[in-house]
Amino acid sequence: MKNTELEAKVKQAFSHAAPDVLDCVLRRCENQKGNVMIMKEAKKKSRKWVKQVAAVAAMAAIVFAGTMGAGIYRTNYAVASTVSLDVNPSIEITANEKERVLSVKPLNEEGQTVIGDMDFKGSDLEVAVNALIGSMLRNGYLNELSNSVLISVDNDDPAKGDALKEKLMEEVRVILQTDTFDGAVLSQTITSDTQLQSLADRYGITAGKAQLIQQIVEKNPLYTFDELVPLSINELNLLCESAQTSLEHVASVGTASDKNYIGADKAKEAALSHAGKAESAVTEMEVKLDYENGMMVYEVEFKADGYEYEYEINAVTGAVVTFDTELDDDTIGQSQSGSQISGSVSADTFIGEEKAREIALSHAGVQEGTIRDYKVDIDEEDGRYVYEIEFESGNLECEYEIDAVSGEIVTYDREVDDDWEAEHHSDTHHSSQNSGSAATGTFIGEEKAREIALTHAGVQEGAIREYEIELDEEDGRYVYEIEFESQDRDYEYEIDAVTGDIIKAEH
Amino acid sequence: MILCMTSAREEKTTSESAMLDECLKQIAEKDTDALSRLYLRTKDSVFGFALSILKNVHDAEDVLQECYLNVYSAASGYDSYGKPLAWILTITRNLCYRKLREHEKMSTIPQEDWERYLEEKEGITSEDKLVLHTCMNCLTEDERQIVVLHAVSGFKHREIAQLLSMRISTVLSKYNRALKKMRNNLERGVLQK
Repeated sequence: MKNTELEAKVKQAFSHAAPDVLDCVLRRCENQKGNVMIMKEAKKKSRKWVKQVAAVAAMAAIVFAGTMGAGIYRTNYAVASTVSLDVNPSIEITANEKERVLSVKPLNEEGQTVIGDMDFKGSDLEVAVNALIGSMLRNGYLNELSNSVLISVDNDDPAKGDALKEKLMEEVRVILQTDTFDGAVLSQTITSDTQLQSLADRYGITAGKAQLIQQIVEKNPLYTFDELVPLSINELNLLCESAQTSLEHVASVGTASDKNYIGADKAKEAALSHAGKAESAVTEMEVKLDYENGMMVYEVEFKADGYEYEYEINAVTGAVVTFDTELDDDTIGQSQSGSQISGSVSADTFIGEEKAREIALSHAGVQEGTIRDYKVDIDEEDGRYVYEIEFESGNLECEYEIDAVSGEIVTYDREVDDDWEAEHHSDTHHSSQNSGSAATGTFIGEEKAREIALTHAGVQEGAIREYEIELDEEDGRYVYEIEFESQDRDYEYEIDAVTGDIIKAEH
Repeated sequence: MILCMTSAREEKTTSESAMLDECLKQIAEKDTDALSRLYLRTKDSVFGFALSILKNVHDAEDVLQECYLNVYSAASGYDSYGKPLAWILTITRNLCYRKLREHEKMSTIPQEDWERYLEEKEGITSEDKLVLHTCMNCLTEDERQIVVLHAVSGFKHREIAQLLSMRISTVLSKYNRALKKMRNNLERGVLQK
């Protein structure tokens, strides 16, 4: 391939890849024209593009002032109101004093889809809003699952802005009374100061949405501005409703749709069934829709049998995301144990923390008195409850998972501290300091066991898949259980953890 | 007009530069038709250059828009007749660096989204994809900018050296290395198919 050929290919590839933004550019240029006059006449407010055009402002102003009367120009071309519509698509409309549209600008891809090839320049503002909402319906951005619209009006004259807001809110409310669902409309007037505008610019959202999020964050400081930005207006509306916070500057009609979610009742059921409680047996039930770690969740809280239960249920799937059980402070006196988790979920059927500890220690062969850094936690894994136990003893680090109902050891892992291992390899056979470490110190190690199995199977290190190794105790001796696949065959080995003998080999 | 013709003679692509110069003069008078003409002749260069710096289509598209807005507002101050494209691409580069600084300030690392973008973009051939892929993934940032400026914008090595503030020998050696890399990669890519 010659250089010239290659260059031609590069040129063509970039040419094909380049998007077309001419329409957008031209519209924004029109905006600049309009803005130039505002600056010259009244220095009303600092908008983001003012700085950019400052250099040419004066010159352009002269050109325009020369061609037409400044007053006429102002009425026709100057931006009197900025109206933004947010659903998930976000669109910003500027209009002149006569409420004729000067520009319509999408702030995201969805907004572009909604606008399509419609040209609103010069049309009546209400007509434009009507058409845009209609397009959102047609394009499926507004439906029974997501029915909320935010209308934000920015006008220097608060009375005018308010009147316009009321008018548009009513207009949109009527359009959204469809056969299948009723819409919910949030509306606000905004005063776009530079701080708000720069916030909006930074996130590429409308000043309206920025103001809404700001208010929600102010009400609930657990949310961050960042994490709320990607949410749709419907989701934000739901959060407001759920927290029963009415935002001072936002008027709201209709109810946000929660049909995308399982609903408070289902969430309650999911939590109760997980806890093994009947609804009649619990008190102080509270359910709240919330947004945590990028996920819409129902927070379910209730009390039963002296414990406080707290659940987070995935609002879409109904899965239990987290749960927490604590002894209820109010009833602490009546309870037998001070431990936070001893009586966890359906505590009556569990073996209890003490018993689990006993099982782990006896399995590890360590004395109660020798252990350090003991930790126990209860967790649910694959639908079964386990006690997760961690402790250290001598040079051993042990981790156990013990079935909370049967007391069976689900998994365990015991690691020997590296320093000790080095000592061991240099063949200064174990001193007696590890009184309770059973035979662990003499294990051949997972690497060696793997080597033995692979050599026996006659397969290459690189040719195996799904490799698993587990240390297990069988009939009083420790074995490495190894499983892997190679060339569509399953291999299973049991290797004596001390001698390295192959106890079992199955192909 | 005379001034424009004489200085433009020095460039081989005289007619193209002259045409762009003429456009810029009209844009200075707020002629949006002239802006459209200028846009159509230069957008591939602006976008290509922006993408080669930013590696993010979303940002490159922003810069593409901002660039022509800047051209529109600043055309009256344009005085480097004969080198209109270099002027436009300098604006482009400044905007790109502003973008990068913004990301730095907010410590956001924009995703490289161009591969997904290409999947959805109409009119892209599989060869285009392969070429872009090679260009974006196998070249260093310098190499990529040089290749794009030469191949897409038709810049001479001397002009590239000026725009990127590099020595011409550096530009030449980087360019040759880049093309070699791309050729190897493309041939391997074709073989794989």
